Amino acid sequence: MKFTSKKHIYFLYLLLIFPILTHAQIEMRGSLSGKILDKNGSPVIGANLVLQPDMHQVNTDKKGVFLFRNIIAGEYSITVSYIGFKTYQNTVLIEAAKNNTINITLEEEENALQQVIVYGKETKVDNLLDIQRSAMPVTVITKETIAQMGSRRLDEILKEQTGIAVVNDIGGGARAVGVQMQGFGSDYVMILIDGQPMVGRNSGNFDLSRISVSNIERIEIIKGASSCLFGSEALGGAINIVTRHGAFQPQALASFRYGSLNIVDATLEGETPFHHQRGSANISANYYRTDGFNTDPNFLSGGTTAPPYDDYTLQGRVRYRLTENGTLGASGRYALRQSFMKQIFGSNENQNSAGDSQDITDINLSVTYDHNFNNGLRSMSRYYLTRYVSDMSILWEESSSQASAEKFAQTLHRFEQQFSYSATANLKFTGGLGGNVEQMDNRDFNVPGGLWSSFGYLQGDWKISDKFEAVGGIRYDHHSSYGGKFNPSLGLQYHIIPKLTLKLAVGSGFKTPDYRQRYQIFMNPVANYLVIGTEVLRATLEEMKNNGQISEVRDYLVNQLDKNLKAEKSLSFNGGFTYSPTQNIKVDINGFYHNISNQINSIRVATGTNVRDIYTYQNLPKSFNTGLEMSASVTPFSGFDISAGYQYLVAKDRAVMDSISNGTGAYASIRDNTTGLFRKSKLSDYFGIENRSRHMANLRLAYNYTPWDITANVRVNYRGKYGFVDNNNNRFLDQYDIFVDGHFLVNAGIEKKLIKQRLSIQLTADNIMDYTDRLMPGQPGRVVLLGLKYRFYKE
Amino acid sequence: MRTIKNNYKSLFVLLVSLAITSCSNNEEGDAWAGLEDGKSTVIRDLAGDTNGSMGEEAEGKTKRGFDTFLFRFSDKKQIWIRNAADSAQYLKTKDWDIAFTGPYNSEIYVNKGSYQFNPGYGGTASSAVVRIDRPYAEVNTAASDEDFAASEINKIGWAFNDSADGWFFYSLDTHLMMAIKNRTYLIHLPDGKYAKLELINAYQGNPPTVTNLNWPAPYFTLRYYVQNDGSKNLNTK
Repeated sequence: MKFTSKKHIYFLYLLLIFPILTHAQIEMRGSLSGKILDKNGSPVIGANLVLQPDMHQVNTDKKGVFLFRNIIAGEYSITVSYIGFKTYQNTVLIEAAKNNTINITLEEEENALQQVIVYGKETKVDNLLDIQRSAMPVTVITKETIAQMGSRRLDEILKEQTGIAVVNDIGGGARAVGVQMQGFGSDYVMILIDGQPMVGRNSGNFDLSRISVSNIERIEIIKGASSCLFGSEALGGAINIVTRHGAFQPQALASFRYGSLNIVDATLEGETPFHHQRGSANISANYYRTDGFNTDPNFLSGGTTAPPYDDYTLQGRVRYRLTENGTLGASGRYALRQSFMKQIFGSNENQNSAGDSQDITDINLSVTYDHNFNNGLRSMSRYYLTRYVSDMSILWEESSSQASAEKFAQTLHRFEQQFSYSATANLKFTGGLGGNVEQMDNRDFNVPGGLWSSFGYLQGDWKISDKFEAVGGIRYDHHSSYGGKFNPSLGLQYHIIPKLTLKLAVGSGFKTPDYRQRYQIFMNPVANYLVIGTEVLRATLEEMKNNGQISEVRDYLVNQLDKNLKAEKSLSFNGGFTYSPTQNIKVDINGFYHNISNQINSIRVATGTNVRDIYTYQNLPKSFNTGLEMSASVTPFSGFDISAGYQYLVAKDRAVMDSISNGTGAYASIRDNTTGLFRKSKLSDYFGIENRSRHMANLRLAYNYTPWDITANVRVNYRGKYGFVDNNNNRFLDQYDIFVDGHFLVNAGIEKKLIKQRLSIQLTADNIMDYTDRLMPGQPGRVVLLGLKYRFYKE
Repeated sequence: MRTIKNNYKSLFVLLVSLAITSCSNNEEGDAWAGLEDGKSTVIRDLAGDTNGSMGEEAEGKTKRGFDTFLFRFSDKKQIWIRNAADSAQYLKTKDWDIAFTGPYNSEIYVNKGSYQFNPGYGGTASSAVVRIDRPYAEVNTAASDEDFAASEINKIGWAFNDSADGWFFYSLDTHLMMAIKNRTYLIHLPDGKYAKLELINAYQGNPPTVTNLNWPAPYFTLRYYVQNDGSKNLNTK
């Protein structure tokens, strides 16, 4: 590892000195001019034009004429806006040493369609798989949306999306926080950066606050089984973070935000082309800190329930065109988190202070080589390395006794060769082959040689006719301990009429058991239980038996479970339609059904003489998440957007349902804790799986007043009541158990841009109503932040 | 412009209505509110053996296992059984009413010399306990002598099923103890008096719901009432 981190630093150093070494060449520049007209051919005076990614800005003159001078040649996205007209967006090519012209006719407001998303034009720099053309429904969050929200960390962005929640996993400890999507827990949602998997989980939970949003181009969210694209782990969906890439002109950005909880969010970014535009590089550094927050002051006399932390992130990317058709790229990310959370219970001689510390190091490195062949074939060779090191411990300060300690390191190497081929304009193929090796070091277990797996896939995107489109694919994964798995997916779109599109999708997913479930022997001395990974179950029990530590073993379970943990599987169905009755209204309705089988759960296999309970893991028959998701957006007039989303969800475990129906053990009865009476339980008493809300909704109002360069937004998020813990010992959630109340969280932001949009001042307020609940230890109260951002670039 | 104004108006109405609805929090206020009835004794955060541990890997914990302690209702006295001398001095006497034994001192016995696994085994006390699934405040009389005599309740600990007499449920998911609400124990004490007892919590500060895996325990919250006139009247209203 020493070698790579040195190399990494060297690479970052190179990135830093690029802007000094390079000078834009005048002969590489061109200009763009033209006229902006309305539908009657009259000039539009004072219309605002922006060229991205370099943020060049001009306004039209009295004749509706504009001119961008001295622009570095390349492909730009142009945006034209003027009050009373719909915003126009397109791509333009500016050729060197030439005056390029374009005339644009703006449509009037009543026809305005705010959905100006032109994704087809995006250049895919390091991943040929088009995630936005996945069979399963995809949501894309753009960097403009992120900027408007004023969010700092990825969890803050995602928890405002329809059907997504960020939840604390109490059983996993105070730091176990993960994302939940259409009812799937964090274990089943794969997190990727530029199409490569990120690692590092705490009891299965991926803490999204590790990721800064400062250098993100967009976020792609796939809801539903996506193993067809990504293999194991994408059983319930995937979240792909696309980092920024490629500017045509040297530019830099500095931003600083400060406010409640002593939150500091500071970012420095630089981008530049080099060597006559053949190369481009960018680098971004972010520092973030927070004091954390105490949602439980009645019981915690000091300290916090949401951890304070200091995060440092350094990210960079460099690309260089070696030949006409070949481009070499590299990107890297280095993230460090240091966190110490104190929790003080009681007072005076009965005071107990827990000192909970966590250090995380996270490295992602990737090298790509992109080659275009003359026959329309494109190749992308990718190597990726990621390493995650986590060191956590909890110490009781008064007695200097340790409550828990865990240290582990996880390393993944991956090589992948991708191809894409456009057979005709309407038929595209993407395929790939690759291999992984994964290593895990933990003081409790170690797997010699690591886990090997290999994969191959083929995806097709076929526009059969003007009315009918199909996307689909198949992926094969081979795992050194789990053999082969095929995962197909298919998505169909049928444009019944131009205003109404019907969509159907089906896909499968799987997840191989993780290291912990297979090899870890985990003792919790405080709660006095032992969990034994299935691969070492029999051997460990034998050893304990010989030492006289076992009082009872359920042998039939050991015979059945030893070295016999199967991969979890899922099957997802999605179906719905998109309806745009007029151009400024869009409605999406989608029903989903996810069936999960072989779900892994713990089961008690033995009783010890000292240790009360000994557990291992088993596959449970089935559970399911089903529901309905709706979204609607309306643009009543130019600059004002209203969008709303709603999700109805039922998530239930079929094993629990069977146990209730059959009256098995504890499931048979239900206790009303107010009367103290027990009665027989019925299937209708079952509320569903913990942490899942039946109803979730959001509403977003955004207003952009271009003449003043002011944008403002208000977002309201509702989360319906959800089960917290079983309180009457029947092991399922019923009406007498503990629930977290349904609640609204209101966020808002206002931003004003000055000095030709170079400077921006932003005021944001999260959780304006200051709503907190001790059962939501991770949700802080009101946070108000003031931010300043300045962009540096040459006119 | 009229539409804009209307939009703002409706936005304002929406925000105001949200401001009203979104400020109610879960489980606020004093955790001990409602326990005091003027007659009963409420014991708050009675520390058990917080140095004990179950397994071998608990660094810094002084020892394995938990020391038993005894408790006397009349003067709220906590008596520790640390060694053989303590055992000899206290266990077989009538000087205690209940004993806190086992993991996290969570297994509770009344003082009953005739039962082999009772801490007071071989002693002179002959307490008995009856469980009743009713709110503490509504339990007005002690059980009949026949019911006390017939009671087979010995250890009051983990209630693993609906017929168990224990005082807490234990979650196999979170590994936390949850005291059973509205379960009251009627006790015939060693001195012949009648009492009722409610065991309320094992976690420090008496939180209504434990939200942290490492919440300090055992710190017992309990309340009881002893009828000093010797009658079975346990009305505490």
